[in-house]
Amino acid sequence: MWRTVARRLVIMIPQILLLSILVFLMAKAMPGDALTGLLDPSIDPAAMDAQRVRLGLNNPWHVQYWDWITQAVQGDFGQSFRFKMPVSDLIGQRMMNTVWLSLATLILTYLIAIPLGITSGRFNDTWADRLITGYTYIGFAAPLFIFALLMLWVFGFHFGWFPTGGSVEPGTEPGTVQYVASKIYHLLLPAISMALITTVTTVQYLRSEIIDTKQKDFIITARAKGASEARVYNRHILRNSLLPIAAFFGYEITGLIGGTIFIENIFSYPGMGQLFLSSISLRDFSVVTSLVLLYGAASIIGALISDITLSIVDPRIRIK
Amino acid sequence: MTKKKPVNARSLFFPIMMALTVLLAACSSGNGNEESSPSATTETATPTSSASASPSASETPAAEDGLYSINDFSNVKKNEGEAIKGGSITFGLVSDTPFEGTLNFNFYSGDPDSQVLSWFDEGLLTWDKSYVYTNDGAATYEVSEDGKTFTFTIRDNVNWQDGKPVTAEDWLFAHEVIGNPKYDGPRYDSNFTNIVGMAEYHDGKAKTISGIEVLSEKKLKITYIQSTPSLLTGGVWSYPLAKHIFGVMDVAKISASPEVREKPIGFGPFKVKSIVPGESVVFEKNPDYWRGEPALDEVVLKVINPTTIVQQLETGGVDLVDSFPVDQYPDNATLSNVEFLGTIDRAYTYMGFKLGKWDAEAGKVVPDAKAKMGDVNLRKAMWLAVDNDQVGKKFYHGLRWNATTLIPPSHPEYHDSTNPGVAYDPEMANKILDDAGYKMDGKFRTNPDGSELVINFISMTGGDIAQPLAQYYVQSWQAIGLNVQLEMVEFNSFYDRVGANGEDDPKVDVYQGAWSVGIDVDPSGLYGKDAIYNFPRYESAENDRLLAEGISEKAFDVKVRQDIYKQWQKLMVDEIPVFPTLYRAVLAPVNKRILNYAIGDGTNLYPYQIAVSQDKPFVKE
Repeated sequence: MWRTVARRLVIMIPQILLLSILVFLMAKAMPGDALTGLLDPSIDPAAMDAQRVRLGLNNPWHVQYWDWITQAVQGDFGQSFRFKMPVSDLIGQRMMNTVWLSLATLILTYLIAIPLGITSGRFNDTWADRLITGYTYIGFAAPLFIFALLMLWVFGFHFGWFPTGGSVEPGTEPGTVQYVASKIYHLLLPAISMALITTVTTVQYLRSEIIDTKQKDFIITARAKGASEARVYNRHILRNSLLPIAAFFGYEITGLIGGTIFIENIFSYPGMGQLFLSSISLRDFSVVTSLVLLYGAASIIGALISDITLSIVDPRIRIK
Repeated sequence: MTKKKPVNARSLFFPIMMALTVLLAACSSGNGNEESSPSATTETATPTSSASASPSASETPAAEDGLYSINDFSNVKKNEGEAIKGGSITFGLVSDTPFEGTLNFNFYSGDPDSQVLSWFDEGLLTWDKSYVYTNDGAATYEVSEDGKTFTFTIRDNVNWQDGKPVTAEDWLFAHEVIGNPKYDGPRYDSNFTNIVGMAEYHDGKAKTISGIEVLSEKKLKITYIQSTPSLLTGGVWSYPLAKHIFGVMDVAKISASPEVREKPIGFGPFKVKSIVPGESVVFEKNPDYWRGEPALDEVVLKVINPTTIVQQLETGGVDLVDSFPVDQYPDNATLSNVEFLGTIDRAYTYMGFKLGKWDAEAGKVVPDAKAKMGDVNLRKAMWLAVDNDQVGKKFYHGLRWNATTLIPPSHPEYHDSTNPGVAYDPEMANKILDDAGYKMDGKFRTNPDGSELVINFISMTGGDIAQPLAQYYVQSWQAIGLNVQLEMVEFNSFYDRVGANGEDDPKVDVYQGAWSVGIDVDPSGLYGKDAIYNFPRYESAENDRLLAEGISEKAFDVKVRQDIYKQWQKLMVDEIPVFPTLYRAVLAPVNKRILNYAIGDGTNLYPYQIAVSQDKPFVKE
């Protein structure tokens, strides 16, 4: 299997390279550049041109691309025009916020999904099941950004239970207990909002898996052997039903990327998603391309993780 | 010539409720702090998630038929109650992007950063209501007979927050850094090239800037090449750079240094205590501030999303905000815990007509006599056909209103209120077109030579009303028989096609843009023949003459200058290379506990005086 993993990782390189070219071309195809917004009559157009030459914006795209990619493989993603600092530092600053938010969301997603999925699957067609599936349908139908705004309004503003922006209380000392507590407190509401929506897929999956497994022959065998209902569910059904859930884990990462972009903007939570959108509209190309590359790599790795976990939890499946 | 920037919607728009507006840079309305940085501000309609204000009797400007008028607003906060000692306030920086964190006046480029900066740093010079430098600031100035040499004296008690004095050396150092070819900020502009010896220094031909001389520790002399009245209105770079800190650094590395980003320094009323990059800053008072000890103990600045601004105000989450979307005002006019301040924005929206091209080689406009919009009768008819008064009322509840001339009333000294512009009169418009030979052929008119006339109109996307507003104009023009085709374009493409890079799109005939004007009234950066931002590509001898006279030495006499710009405003109303459509209001909600606060210029209220009447903000009842 390790050979397969290694091979997948090798295939990743051309994938990411192709992605980088696509991203770069698309970024360049956007009208305007970082200097377009600086319409200032008091600045000599010649000075603007000099800036463009200095930033290499006048070169043909393949030259610009080569300059960028050769730097990028050495870990230098260039300088953000808007922030005037290295892109890698900038992303580093924001990344941890997004990572914490995603992690919290992921944990909450499973905390919600597993009990609900099991209840719904085990007692299907009862009122509890109908309630739960009802919730999942609403979850499917409700767009994340509307739901998040609603949550923000109800729990952030109306009840005032949660902070309504930022990632930490201004003025808390990094490293202290208050700081950590404040961080957690700030990401709770965004994480819950996102988890309540993203979890519905997993609940549905789990439910149908359980219902499906319930009718398998080996369950009938287990029952026939006189295994208790609890044992049947915990040892036989649940373990088998969790397979696809585990496999989904990697793809969940991809989903989270999309979700955090919305959530971060709504909750003014300074992570990568927020950085991404603002960099697009300001044509801060070096940041946009680096972030897309990062997102792309995360998705590809997510898919790989899924495949690997699948092969681990289900010995019948072997990736070749 | 300073500070002009396009105002518009530079924004991405999400299908619902989420306007991702991006403020690049804007002139702040602080108390005498100046930015010569420009660019796109935003004016999008930013709908809030919810906002239900129950109408109730209150002292807020009365709205008849849901209409408001800027005249009913004060720009100075009513003081209610006694100030308590100390206190802490929260300032909301309304932005859906984190602030960049380039926290130095010499380097920053975005408006969010300037908002952060204005709490802990300031310029050495302040200005009055007419935007003319006063001698009330941290430095005083004297001008020589010929108006070219300025001698500045920094007050003795003006010190950096680390205790070191702010010196003439620091002021010179700021000029040297900005003039350095390795400088990576956006400040090296005509204000700098107008300094004697600056160009030579910038090109590396001279080791020092010959026009700047340090006379003593606190005295600096700067000689300018051309003396113009614009020098007195924002033409002097008044932000020193602490040489004892930055003097040892490579110029290219200053903007990314921790001394700019993490532990910034200034000489303003508050000191930076802690920063969470991009989201919040805590300031504590600077007891040694030169004007006196600040009344507040602490100011907390946090970034708040435009979608939640109303809720933040209602709950007292913020006391002040840097900007408030005007379109949310009608729903929130009666908020019980805040007072809305208002003033006239230094900006106008306008329609531009493409009359020529840009010659990049020569660096000047080339009018095209055969341009589609070349006939002034056609342009005038198009102005007559639109009812901007109704646009202001219907689309903006009266908080934007019909514009008459190209110098907005935010410059009361120069705005010619006796000039009525061109008022709505569709019959007159039809008559002018008939007389000029634009005959009706079926539904639409043709050119006088009988050829088909299709006018391509582009307008910017962003905000809820961008599209309907543009549609309104198209319909108005169609009503007088003009076949106008609308295309909605995103900010960057818009300015690309209009010609911000000198490559005008020949398919554009008419465009709707907006400019935010600088504190100096001189419009030559927008309408001069050698200005790339003269998007209409308009040129005339009379225009050249008036613009040159406006910044000549004789224009130091305010009366003379007023007369010159009166003539210029008239010329623009006659020739119509562009026509102004709307003037606009800026509104700023302030929690009722805040005392001694004002927006706008020359109010003689400074941030160190801000106080509170009670410990906690008022919340909505």
